[in-house]
Amino acid sequence: MNRIACAACPLFPLAARLRAEPELAGEALAIVEGNGQAARVLAATRAARRAGVRPGSTLTQARALVPKLVARARDIECEATAQEVLLETAETFSPRVEDGGPGVAYLDLHGLDRHYRGKEPAHGGIGREEPERELGKALLHALDRERLPVRVGIASNKLAARTAASLFPTPTVVPAGHEPAFLAPLPLERLSPSIEIAETLERWGLRSIGELARLPAAEVASRLGEIGRELHASARGLDLRPLVPRSAPPDFREGMMLEWPLVNLEPFLFLARAALDRLCRRLETQGLGCARLEMSLRLEPDGVYQRSLTLPSPTRDTKTLLTLVRLDLEQHTPGAPVVGFALTAQPDRPRAAQLSIFGPAALSPERLATTLARLFALLGPGRVGSPALADGHRPERFALADFRPPPPPRVRAQPPRARGLLAVRVLRPAVEIEVNTRPAAGGSPAFLRPVRPPALPADPRAVVAVPSRQRSAAAAGSRPAAGASPRIEGAVRVASGPWELEEGWWTEAPVRREYWDVELDGGGLYRIYRDRESDLWLLDGIYD
Amino acid sequence: MSAVPLHQLAPLDLGLQTARDLLERRTPDDALPITLAALARLLPAGLRRGELYELVGDRSSGRFSVVLALLAAAGNVGEATVLIDLGDHFDPQDAVRAGVVLERLLWLRPADPKQALAAAETAISGGFPLVVCDLGTPPVPGGRGAQSHWLRLHAAARSHRAVLLVSTPYRACGAAATTVLEARGGRARWRGDAPPHRLLQGIGSRVVLKKTRGRVPESAAELTLRRGRL
Repeated sequence: MNRIACAACPLFPLAARLRAEPELAGEALAIVEGNGQAARVLAATRAARRAGVRPGSTLTQARALVPKLVARARDIECEATAQEVLLETAETFSPRVEDGGPGVAYLDLHGLDRHYRGKEPAHGGIGREEPERELGKALLHALDRERLPVRVGIASNKLAARTAASLFPTPTVVPAGHEPAFLAPLPLERLSPSIEIAETLERWGLRSIGELARLPAAEVASRLGEIGRELHASARGLDLRPLVPRSAPPDFREGMMLEWPLVNLEPFLFLARAALDRLCRRLETQGLGCARLEMSLRLEPDGVYQRSLTLPSPTRDTKTLLTLVRLDLEQHTPGAPVVGFALTAQPDRPRAAQLSIFGPAALSPERLATTLARLFALLGPGRVGSPALADGHRPERFALADFRPPPPPRVRAQPPRARGLLAVRVLRPAVEIEVNTRPAAGGSPAFLRPVRPPALPADPRAVVAVPSRQRSAAAAGSRPAAGASPRIEGAVRVASGPWELEEGWWTEAPVRREYWDVELDGGGLYRIYRDRESDLWLLDGIYD
Repeated sequence: MSAVPLHQLAPLDLGLQTARDLLERRTPDDALPITLAALARLLPAGLRRGELYELVGDRSSGRFSVVLALLAAAGNVGEATVLIDLGDHFDPQDAVRAGVVLERLLWLRPADPKQALAAAETAISGGFPLVVCDLGTPPVPGGRGAQSHWLRLHAAARSHRAVLLVSTPYRACGAAATTVLEARGGRARWRGDAPPHRLLQGIGSRVVLKKTRGRVPESAAELTLRRGRL
């Protein structure tokens, strides 16, 4: 027989708001719907209810009762997020979960009896706790950790489970086959009949569900039609509606509408931190990490500002994600006050690794993901990664790939002997230089000096014999930032070359270079080239 | 214990016979290996974890080649490494020729020394066993960095058992460095008389151990680096 659990959150709009703003839990708070004089209380906290605030009363009436009443508009964004959290938490208990509407989730308990066998009673009591009651308590605690106060009912069909979830004490477990007896003493309002049907049943003198169930089904159907037949079946504890499991959403979303527009970054980050915290906790519940974070900011008076942050590795570290959000918004400001936001995490499986006992210690995947995300936040895109070989012949070429180190060997091996090769420090971009050549020696470089800054007047006494066509071709765009280029100047002691390099002759920007290795009198071994397209001399490497 | 057959300890096919074999496989104090002969003579125990090594060298002294050789040695034993490349001088093609395992190398390209120091601290706390911070060629933009920064990085390396190697054109770490090596007087070696028959063969320089713990300073070794295939 099927067993179904129902988790229902009473006063759901209020619970969703308190989940987003937990500091309001002790206040007299009312959730209102509508504007101005038409604003009506939808739900209120216990402190407000004690003072007489009731659902349906106007905000003015509520304020008359509680002058310090905190009023919050109903936030659909918050409710959608809370509903998603409810379903996700339920999915950690059962693979088949149905979305039962705002604040309600149904769980198929088939097969879970192997996980919940009941606990021994505490303090030497007699008997074992029912397995289903233990499951219900576990579900209650899990949702309580997510700041969602729910009630749980367990029965053989959705109707009985939903009804049981609305009763105290929670969890309420209806034994299999006892649904009619469980429903019989309850008032007819529990079946939520339409107003017309409810008036008819009242005229018949029926008060409880059991009284309706005792009437002949055919007679009820002949008088009330198809609705009456269904109502009678419900009264007998029959609910043939199957549980329809939902398909998992592709992303995780947290957000809220704000009471007032935000113009500064810090208050926004304060709220974003809480939202990211909740988002990361939800990802952790599902064993996932955030691979891409999408921000959607609702602006005043209208418009939406969207940003997307791609992470180098899936992570669920709140601090890292918050740093990324901060850096991104500092660089790309929305340009208008923010009145609402939503943060959507595109999930991915975090990397897993089998750690070795005898080999080198592998990096913990979780820690690595966090470190990479922090470095990414610190240095920015295109500056963190694993170097990779790039096609082509130009020495300055490179590619950057995601850092995914292979697992270390099972046993530490002896490394091969170093080849002792001379490396080159590549200069990106290459530094433009002036070169005095020796025409008699095949045009080999004889003297190097940095290119004079164009703002300074040239000193005629210092000009070396450089072909005029070389001097005239100034490429301002290729000059590096001041202070970044190494200062080299001096007579060439030894030169070796030229070596031709030609690449991309079929493109609009072909590369034709003439490379030389030069050693200066004052020390230093350099790789320079003459760009045959622009006739400029450039320094692109230092042997080191 | 060391004579116990290994199959009684763990049913692994590791090519080892006894636990003693396993112990002998491990380098002393779990240090990172040095495979460059000249450097290994100066630091026979390898790169000890938790220490800050400072490698000083002027232009064309072979300093960057030493950095690549150390990254290659650590990567070849399966360790993940980090290169913080302040000058953006790293050439993947050159590194592969030097034996660097690119998949195990995290290449960081900071824009200024402040970012480089912050990246070093993040990488150390991330559990990387070898973090190399190359400050590039002189003049280092932004200066040497405050002494307190290097002391802080050394403390981080000690607490996370990481090796921090700072490659710099002049002394930067001060008292924070536990070992200081200096590459001096790089001399180019040529073959052939005149272009186009003249070829660069390599460079030779002298590496001096200027400061270390437990060894006599001023020991030196000749470092010879040859030019690889073009």
